[in-house]
Amino acid sequence: MLPRLSSPPNRTRIQQAVSQFFSNYGMLLVLLLLCTYYAVVTLEEQNPRGADAAEALLDDLTARVPAGGTVLIATKANEEDRVFAAALAEGLRAAGYTPAGPVEGTPQDLRQALEAVAAQGRPIAAIATTRDNAAIVRNLQRQVTSLAETPVLTPASYRWPTFLRADNIRNVANQIVVIAIIAVGMTMVIITAGIDLSVGSLIALSAVVAAYLIQAMGGTEAGTGAMLLASAAAILLCGLVGLFSGFVITRFRVPPFIATLGVMQIASGLAYIISEGKSISAIPDGYVWLGRGADLFSLPNAVVLMILIYAGAHVLMTRTTLGRYIYAVGGNEEAARLSGIRVHAVLVFVYVVAGLLAGLGGIVQASQLKSGAPTYGLMYELYVIAAVVIGGTSLFGGEGKILGTLIGAFIIAVIQNGMNLTGVESYTQKVVLGFVILGAVLLDMLKKRGLR
Amino acid sequence: MPTFASRGILLLLPFLLLACGGSGGDRPAATTDRPVIGVSVLTLTHAFFQDLTAALEAEADAHGFDVVITACEFDIARQKNQVSDFVVRQVDAIVLAPCDSRAIGTSILEANAAGIPVFTTDIAALSEGIDVVTHVATDNYEGGRLAARAILDAIGGSGQIAIIDHPEVESVIMRTNGFFDELEARSAPVEVVARLPGGGVKDRAFRVAEDILQAHPDLDAIFAINDDTALGAVAAIEKAGRAGTVRVVGFDGTLEARRAIRDGQIFADVIQHPDRIGRETVQAIVRYMNGEPVEDEILIAPSLYTQQDALADPLLQESE
Repeated sequence: MLPRLSSPPNRTRIQQAVSQFFSNYGMLLVLLLLCTYYAVVTLEEQNPRGADAAEALLDDLTARVPAGGTVLIATKANEEDRVFAAALAEGLRAAGYTPAGPVEGTPQDLRQALEAVAAQGRPIAAIATTRDNAAIVRNLQRQVTSLAETPVLTPASYRWPTFLRADNIRNVANQIVVIAIIAVGMTMVIITAGIDLSVGSLIALSAVVAAYLIQAMGGTEAGTGAMLLASAAAILLCGLVGLFSGFVITRFRVPPFIATLGVMQIASGLAYIISEGKSISAIPDGYVWLGRGADLFSLPNAVVLMILIYAGAHVLMTRTTLGRYIYAVGGNEEAARLSGIRVHAVLVFVYVVAGLLAGLGGIVQASQLKSGAPTYGLMYELYVIAAVVIGGTSLFGGEGKILGTLIGAFIIAVIQNGMNLTGVESYTQKVVLGFVILGAVLLDMLKKRGLR
Repeated sequence: MPTFASRGILLLLPFLLLACGGSGGDRPAATTDRPVIGVSVLTLTHAFFQDLTAALEAEADAHGFDVVITACEFDIARQKNQVSDFVVRQVDAIVLAPCDSRAIGTSILEANAAGIPVFTTDIAALSEGIDVVTHVATDNYEGGRLAARAILDAIGGSGQIAIIDHPEVESVIMRTNGFFDELEARSAPVEVVARLPGGGVKDRAFRVAEDILQAHPDLDAIFAINDDTALGAVAAIEKAGRAGTVRVVGFDGTLEARRAIRDGQIFADVIQHPDRIGRETVQAIVRYMNGEPVEDEILIAPSLYTQQDALADPLLQESE
């Protein structure tokens, strides 16, 4: 074996910084490569929507339909199609055509509209519609004799990765937000060399308690104050459950795995008892604000919340004494104790944070689904732990990064979403995710050996 | 200066990409002219949904549709994601067997807002303000009544009975409602000594049945709300050595249960016709796409299946 050389003298600061970056955030590279991969494999024909679609269709239409003709606009009943219809009608008028309709709705509505137009006997030069409605319109026109030969025109498609469409990116973020929020608390717990298996059950408990309280405070008529109060109470309850776990772990020296395994069962059982095993859905429509709303730059509110939590936790872990204590306790509990850190207080703190964030995750889940049910969060603790481990936090404690966990969570989300988009069935997805977790741990091992 | 770390990443990558691509090649492309039906059912581990989706797929293919089949495996949040992905892919119709009849509401609203028609199958959606074209399902209420009649037959009109329930699911609530209404309508002298949830799965039903048998030595019959529950109960009854004294009536008519009926382990089953449900669902979609009216609910009548039926069942002879 060759003797290992110490740092070569020609290594510059920049090189060092780059090397440091990759050993810290190598998983970021993996995430970017995954995104690139899915961008390439989901590159396919896209249907333009809204005003863009109208513009794209207008050029083609003016070239094919003689000026002055009547063009019937037929669309599905949704917001983007309404924008399309309005923009197209305006453009047609400007180009000297007569727009007819617009007719919108279900195939049955469209059929009646087509029949009505045919009954009027007015000659229709063309029917304009969106690409995803074209099959229906072509099918319907065959049944209305006088329109059977009328050309159906649609906007030309363009090529773009489905994965990189704005609505899909929003989906990816929305799909991981619950797990990502809870993973912040789990990262802190795992940095102290602990584990919290109860977070999945706490999602259910929090969602059920919040829904139950809202139901008790007026149900679908409950006001904003009641909803906030109910949610805060549910989160606080989960914090108390975390306090209980922390107490059992520190006071009686029960291993965290066992203590939180017990708490997991207790919390799940309570959720079933409170809800009587059913889902509670007497909740006002306004409750979906957190889970479905998007107020800031069309970012979903839950994603904004997630970003704020990550920013706060990052500062806590890197810039405060408490953060350093958490690392110290995980690195060497005995040494931490000898240097005057109140180890038990630090441990209880991380389990309370984990409980509170799991409660918050439950509220987000309840808000997304506008109901609370004891079946929520099933096996989520495993996804949360996976996000933390993929993000580079060592299960032996003492090291890990909050932002690494965010990357880990997104790796899971991108893989799942990408596999959904490419039609990989759900059983295969489990196998892949399992290998990704193993890969991450393997990478962690290699990294350590490389640095030593 | 490649560190072990970066080498590790390089090692990992090709494998990762291979794994994540999976069977990307044979998926139904969203760009073909064939309209696409997105399906998300409760689970694909039950024979019922396997039969339903298989029939649905065959019927859809015959009508020129492509089908994407997914299952939420009892996780409503996952079903929400599946519907979101269908909306992004702009499928032409969505078929759901909701994991939670109420929590599915926000997902259906999302599809409604995108103008994609939603059809439910087997399990209804019960949220307010949602737009579901039609619900295709077994007449579960009628099935519950059939089950009550079968139980009365099995125990000779009177005795102690227990129910292994699964009240999280709307179709099961209908079954038990029909069951109790029929018992009441006949003012049968039966005592319901236990009614416990078994999760609709074999292992939990087995444990629940064991406890019921332990607590009630004079029990005469168990109504199991589906076949997995019934088979779990049968296992517990045999373990307790009470086969022949405690009768079981199940629900669904899966192959495994039919065998158990032939062998006398289950007294009778209310059988559903998942294949008909799958076919009727596609036919409703076709009528919808043609602009024809579609009724709000399409109920498929269940029927009773006894040992006599099992002995003559061609399905059982083929599989032996």
